Amino acid sequence: MAEVHVIGEIIGASEFPSHNLFCKWGIHTGGAWKVIAGSREGQTQVDNPQNEEFAVWSHPLDIHFATKGLQGWPKLKFEVYHMDDLGRNELYGYGFCHLPTSPGTHHIECPTWRPAGSYRERIAQFFIGGAPQLRNPDMVHSSERFTLQTVTMGKVHLKLGLIFRNFDKYGVEC
Amino acid sequence: MYTLPHISLEMASNPTVFLLMLNGQIETGDFPEFDDLYVKYNYSFGPDWAVTSGLEEGISQVCKRNTYGHRDFVWNFPLEVTFKSTNPYGWPQLVVSVYGLDAFGTAVVRGYGSVHLPISPGSHTSIIPMFVPEASSRFQKFLGWFMGRRPEYVDTNVVARGEGREVTRVRSQGHLKVKFSIVTKDMKKLGYDCIPSQLNTPNAIAASAIASSSTTNQGAGAAAKTVEGPTGSSDA
Repeated sequence: MAEVHVIGEIIGASEFPSHNLFCKWGIHTGGAWKVIAGSREGQTQVDNPQNEEFAVWSHPLDIHFATKGLQGWPKLKFEVYHMDDLGRNELYGYGFCHLPTSPGTHHIECPTWRPAGSYRERIAQFFIGGAPQLRNPDMVHSSERFTLQTVTMGKVHLKLGLIFRNFDKYGVEC
Repeated sequence: MYTLPHISLEMASNPTVFLLMLNGQIETGDFPEFDDLYVKYNYSFGPDWAVTSGLEEGISQVCKRNTYGHRDFVWNFPLEVTFKSTNPYGWPQLVVSVYGLDAFGTAVVRGYGSVHLPISPGSHTSIIPMFVPEASSRFQKFLGWFMGRRPEYVDTNVVARGEGREVTRVRSQGHLKVKFSIVTKDMKKLGYDCIPSQLNTPNAIAASAIASSSTTNQGAGAAAKTVEGPTGSSDA
């Protein structure tokens, strides 16, 4: 079996409307892929920056995959939340990115979006907080999003190092 | 010719371990609101990894920033270490913490940070964002302010782990700039690719040479025969 190592960091986030952000991340793969070591999902710390428009998570990733096929190349998905002064969490953004398909170090900016909600929900959110969430979070990495209205949100920054093993043995060029 | 200090250049025909050599330095830091800072570093790595030479941890000098123009802290502190491993999982991370002296002369933490060592050979520069943990409640915050102490991690290696972070609240402040030069040994021999392979467009002659040599190796087969037809003619 061919192997993929993902070694890197979720560096942080930028261009979100306020501070006290954290992120839940997870991995989604096709059936041929197996995670041998490392966690499939996690949650970062909550950061309140001193004087910058950049949330620092410095969240280490170290995942070891083994695969029998190329279909269902791994995807990373993110859910960014904002923790308000009362300790409530409101959704700030969904996003996903594919793992790069070449070995080496990659800097990735993953743009995010969130559901807009109805007019009434938007007004309610302005005054009392709380944001609409997806009932089915699989929509984040699937292409069935018809009828969904969304709003642009910030970016999640990643640095990923990829090490491939035995891909050339199977004639895969990457 | 010179030899690399930690890696002997002997050929291992059947390697079972690969080596990762790091030369580098903790170059500068950017902490706008503090003075008199020093850096502590160590490495955090998985169970398959071991240090074969070099220092596993260190503490730098205390640096004041200058009073004119250039506002960064310069530590220029060397990092030299070699690791060996059988498996990239648990790849080493550089764990750094910056401490400053407060008005009473006691060391107070000004930032924690971590970064994975680069995975591919060559020169790399990392800007490590630094952060400090926040008190978990308003009362703790007040108590900390009153006693002149701020929350610290008991074990600095928590910043190199992904688990158990959902309960921590932090405040990010400042950056550290670190330079790495990486040399690896025997990774390719163990089947690991750390850099993109060079893709060549094979020309017709090379392709036919490969095809004809493979057919002679395989002997007569139904699939091989179909290849043999056109290549045989082009060779002739």
